[in-house]
Amino acid sequence: MNLFQRSLKILKAFFYIFLFLGLGESIVYFINIPVPGNILGMVLIFLALKLKLIKLETVKPASDTLINYMMLFFVPFGVGLLAYFDFIKSYWIILTIAAGLSTLITLYVTAIVQQKLEKDDRNL
Amino acid sequence: MTEIYKLPVFGILITLVAFFSAIALRKKIKFVLFNPVLIASALIILVLVVSDVSFTDYNRGGKYLSFFLGPAIVALGVLFFEKYQLIKHNIYPFLLAVCCGGIISVLSVSCIAILINAPDVIIRSIVSISVTTPIAIEISQITHGIPSITAGVVIAVGIFGNAFGPAFLKGLGIKSKTAMGTALGTAAHGIGTARAIEEGHLPGAYSGLAMCVNGILTTLIAPYVVLWIVGSIETITV
Repeated sequence: MNLFQRSLKILKAFFYIFLFLGLGESIVYFINIPVPGNILGMVLIFLALKLKLIKLETVKPASDTLINYMMLFFVPFGVGLLAYFDFIKSYWIILTIAAGLSTLITLYVTAIVQQKLEKDDRNL
Repeated sequence: MTEIYKLPVFGILITLVAFFSAIALRKKIKFVLFNPVLIASALIILVLVVSDVSFTDYNRGGKYLSFFLGPAIVALGVLFFEKYQLIKHNIYPFLLAVCCGGIISVLSVSCIAILINAPDVIIRSIVSISVTTPIAIEISQITHGIPSITAGVVIAVGIFGNAFGPAFLKGLGIKSKTAMGTALGTAAHGIGTARAIEEGHLPGAYSGLAMCVNGILTTLIAPYVVLWIVGSIETITV
């Protein structure tokens, strides 16, 4: 496959991702359900793959790229903490206690429920 | 002369340089605190403070990068489909575990916050702490929290789960690696998933899928929990 064909394939993959994003956003816009459009887009693309309306190979080049660089996309929100320096200084103890405890509880509850109920595939 | 830092290209360039330096650093030294988002954000904040550039000026460019969070969330659906094939046979125990964990997460963080007298805006911001950052940011906007606080706390939670999650669970008698994977994905999203992948291919798959499922679940329930606990979804001006 030459470079031109490869680029076209990637372009087509991105087209599908944006198509489902647009679809999700439009449904939320018109029906006014309390779910963000991009999350609806995520559910729709899963269903489309599951129902074999689109093929995994068609969208995979774009989705792999987006997921690989996902961390880059939220750096600006990390930088946004700059504006809340005083807020964090006043509340860091509260934030640490609430987030830390809740995370430990969540970890344990999730793990114990699955360990009690799952069929054994530990050795796969 | 227009100041160079007021052009969008400034924010984009500085973010790319900081991010790829952070990635390079992470490749050299495998240490959880060297999380690329953490290091890159700290570097940029340092540059902005030293050169006296405001966040608003930086974000003229920065917003072009955060725009891609939308399509990245859609891409999670594709990841979800790939992982789903691997765990089909255990789907019901898995879904039940993620739902219990996700609901407990939203409830416990709000109740603890109330017990220690946190202001409403904190509850609005951290109700979604266990889900992947882009989805948490969306939820924070719906519940009228502060998205940057959400992002900061969510990343911190991920690093915490990544660093201490497996040891904590082993200490409490969790032997199943796949249960550990699901727990890491539910409580500590993508950064926890990175640790689950180190435990094995299958725990990694459970973890990635748990992250997607919990993202959807929390989106559906978090606004109602905020409504119930804080009293209203509309915000008083902060």
